[in-house]
Amino acid sequence: MSKLFKDIYDYREMIFSLVRRDLRGRYKGTVLGFLWTFVNPLLQLLVYTLVFSYILRMGIDSYYIFLIVALVPWIFFSGTINGGCEVILGASNMVKKIYFPREVLPLAYTLSSFVNMLFSFIVVFAILLFSGQGINFVALLYLPLIMLIEFILALGMALLFSAMTVYLRDLQHILGIVMMAWQFLTPIMYSEDMVPENLRGVWRLNPMTSVITAYRDILYYKQVPHINTLTEAAVLGILLLVIGELVFRRLQRNFAEEL
Amino acid sequence: MGINTENNEEIAVEVRNIRKCFKIYADHANQLKDRMLFWKRNRYEERKVLDDISFDVKRGEAVGLIGENGSGKSTTLKLLTKIIYPDSGTIKMNGRVSSLIELGAGFHSDMSGRENIYTNAAIFGLTKKEIDARLEKIIEFSELEEFIDNPVRTYSSGMYMRLAFAVAINVDADILLIDEILAVGDAAFQAKCFNRLREIKAKGTTIVLVSHSMGQIEQLCDRSIWIHEGKIRMEGAPRDVHPHYMDYMADVTERVSEKRKQATEQENEQAGPAAEENTKTTTEEQGDLQRYGNQKAEITSITLNRADKQNCNTLRSGEDAEIVIAYKAHEIIKNASFGIGIFRNDGVQCYGTNTVIDQLQEFDLDGIGTMTIKLEKLGLLQGSYSMDIAIECDQGIPVDYYKNAIQFDVTSRINDVGVMRVEHKWNLETKNG
Repeated sequence: MSKLFKDIYDYREMIFSLVRRDLRGRYKGTVLGFLWTFVNPLLQLLVYTLVFSYILRMGIDSYYIFLIVALVPWIFFSGTINGGCEVILGASNMVKKIYFPREVLPLAYTLSSFVNMLFSFIVVFAILLFSGQGINFVALLYLPLIMLIEFILALGMALLFSAMTVYLRDLQHILGIVMMAWQFLTPIMYSEDMVPENLRGVWRLNPMTSVITAYRDILYYKQVPHINTLTEAAVLGILLLVIGELVFRRLQRNFAEEL
Repeated sequence: MGINTENNEEIAVEVRNIRKCFKIYADHANQLKDRMLFWKRNRYEERKVLDDISFDVKRGEAVGLIGENGSGKSTTLKLLTKIIYPDSGTIKMNGRVSSLIELGAGFHSDMSGRENIYTNAAIFGLTKKEIDARLEKIIEFSELEEFIDNPVRTYSSGMYMRLAFAVAINVDADILLIDEILAVGDAAFQAKCFNRLREIKAKGTTIVLVSHSMGQIEQLCDRSIWIHEGKIRMEGAPRDVHPHYMDYMADVTERVSEKRKQATEQENEQAGPAAEENTKTTTEEQGDLQRYGNQKAEITSITLNRADKQNCNTLRSGEDAEIVIAYKAHEIIKNASFGIGIFRNDGVQCYGTNTVIDQLQEFDLDGIGTMTIKLEKLGLLQGSYSMDIAIECDQGIPVDYYKNAIQFDVTSRINDVGVMRVEHKWNLETKNG
C-alpha cells in the first residue's frame, strides 16, 4: 500500500499535467469555453426549479437554493463516473506501451472534475450571497471535509469502473442509465425526510445520501452537519475507495493485453 | 570507488521462474451480449511465450537479450517494465526504471516540442523541477533548437523520434530497458545515441538491451542471454554466446533457403519441360535482358558447393567454396572465356572477373563440359547475393550472358562490415621509455 502512495507521489507531475490538459481540453473549441463550468449547472438548475417549484410543487422554501447546493456536488460525482469509466480505454496507447502507475489516470480525471466543481462553487456562493440566504461560517468549516469525503468516494468509483470498462465495454452505456437512476434515488431534488420511513434504511446505504445531506446541512440549513452523517459518509467513502483500488489492482495486470 | 564496490554487487533486476502465456482468442468478446450469449466464443488458444526464465542483472551491468523473432525476448522486456505481468514467477526491479521501448508515448501532436518534453518526461515519473533541470540537455541532444516551439505535428518522423529519444535517454534512470531502438534517425544520430548509452553505462546505470545486432551488444554489454523458444538456451560473455547463436541462425537460414529451393524445383518440375530448359523459361519470365547472347553455347546448370556440402544455397564467410558451371556448346566456340559477377541484394557489385582478366589462355568450347571456380576463404560478408555468369567469345561477344543466374546467402560468425573482407593482420608495437 505504501508503495502505491510513493508511486503516485513520484508521478505527481504526470497527474498535474493530465489535469491541466483535461481542464484545458474539456471545453476546447466551444464558444463559451470555460464559462460552461458555470452555465451548465445554472441551466440544469433552471429546468429543475421550473418543474419542481411550479409544476410538481415541493413546498420547499427557496427551492433553487435547496437544489443547487446538492446539484453541483452531484454533477461532479456523476460526471466523474460517466467520463472516468473511459479513461483507461482512452489512454490505451500509453497503457500498452509504457509503465506508469495506472491509478494515475482515474485519479487525474477525478481531480480535474473536482477542480471543475470548485469553480462551479463560485456560482453557488454567488447565489447564496445575492439571494440573501447568507452563510454560516462555522458550518462552512465542514465544507472542505465533506468535499474530501466526496472526492474519495468518486475516486473509488472511477477506479472501479475505469478498470471494469476495459473488460466490458457496454459498461459505458449501462452507467449512463445507472447514473440517472442513482440521481433520482439520492435526495437531490427532494429531501431525505420525504423518503418513506420504512425505506430510509435502504436510502442510507447509498453513500451519496449522506454526502448530499451534509452539503445541504452546511449550505442550505446553515448548520453543522450531524456527526452521524459525516461518519457514515466517510466510512462508506473509504470502503468504496478500498474496494475500487483492490478491483483495479487485480484487473490492471491484464490491461495491456485486453486493450 | 571503495564505497561503490559493495553497491556494485547489489542486484538491480531479479527475475525468478517467470512464465507467460498469451491467450489467443478466436473471437474476442468484449460486449455483454457476446459474453452472455456466446460462452464458447471465449475459447482461446494458449501460446506459451516464456517458460521458466530466471536471471539476475547486477547493478551497473549491461545485459543483451538475443534470440530469434518470437523467441520471447521482447516479452521479457515488457514484463520488466511492468506493462504486462507474468502468469507465475516474480520480478524485482531495484531503482527507477526508464524504458526505451515505445518512444514518444503520450506525445500530443498539437502541442509544441517543448510542451511535449514536459508531458512525456512526466510519464517517465519526473517532477517539474527535474524536467526543468534537464530541459536544455534534452533540447540540445535532440538537435531541434530551432523547431522546439513548433507543434510536433509539423515534425518529420526523424525529428519526432529524435525528440522522443532525447527525453527517454535523459531521464537518468537506474535501470534502462531498450528494445531495438538504436535504429533512430540517421547514422550520425545513431552514433550519438550509442555514445550516450556508453556514457550512461559508465555512470553505473544498469542496462537491459534487446537487439538483433550482435555488434551493438558486444560493444555495450557484459553478458548475453540467448532466449530460445521461451527458455534460456545460453548465457555468458557475448563473445562466447554469439558464435553459437550465429551458428544456429546460419542453420535456420540454410533450412529456409533450402525449402525455397525445393519449392522452386517442385514448381519447375510441375511446369513440365526438361531441367535444361527450366533455367531458360524462368529467366525469360523475369525480363527480356536477363539472358542474352548468340546462344551458340548455353549454361545448363550452376551449382554451389561448400567444403562440407555439395549443391547448397548457403555459403559460409571465410570458408572455401566452389562454383561449378555446366555448359553445352551447340557448335564449336573459338576463343571462349567465362566470367562471373557477384551482386549484393541491394544491387552493389561486390566482385567481378573473367578468365581473360585472370590471364587464362582463351580456349575453344565443344560439346558439354563444366567450368569450376574455386573460392578460397570466401571474402563475402553476411548477406544475400546473386551472381551473373557469362560465356563470351572473341574478346567480349556474348554467347550466353546469364544475369541473376543464381541466388545465394552467406552466413558469418565474424561481424566485420563493408562490401567484402580485406585480408588483414593486426600488429601492435609499443615503445616504452
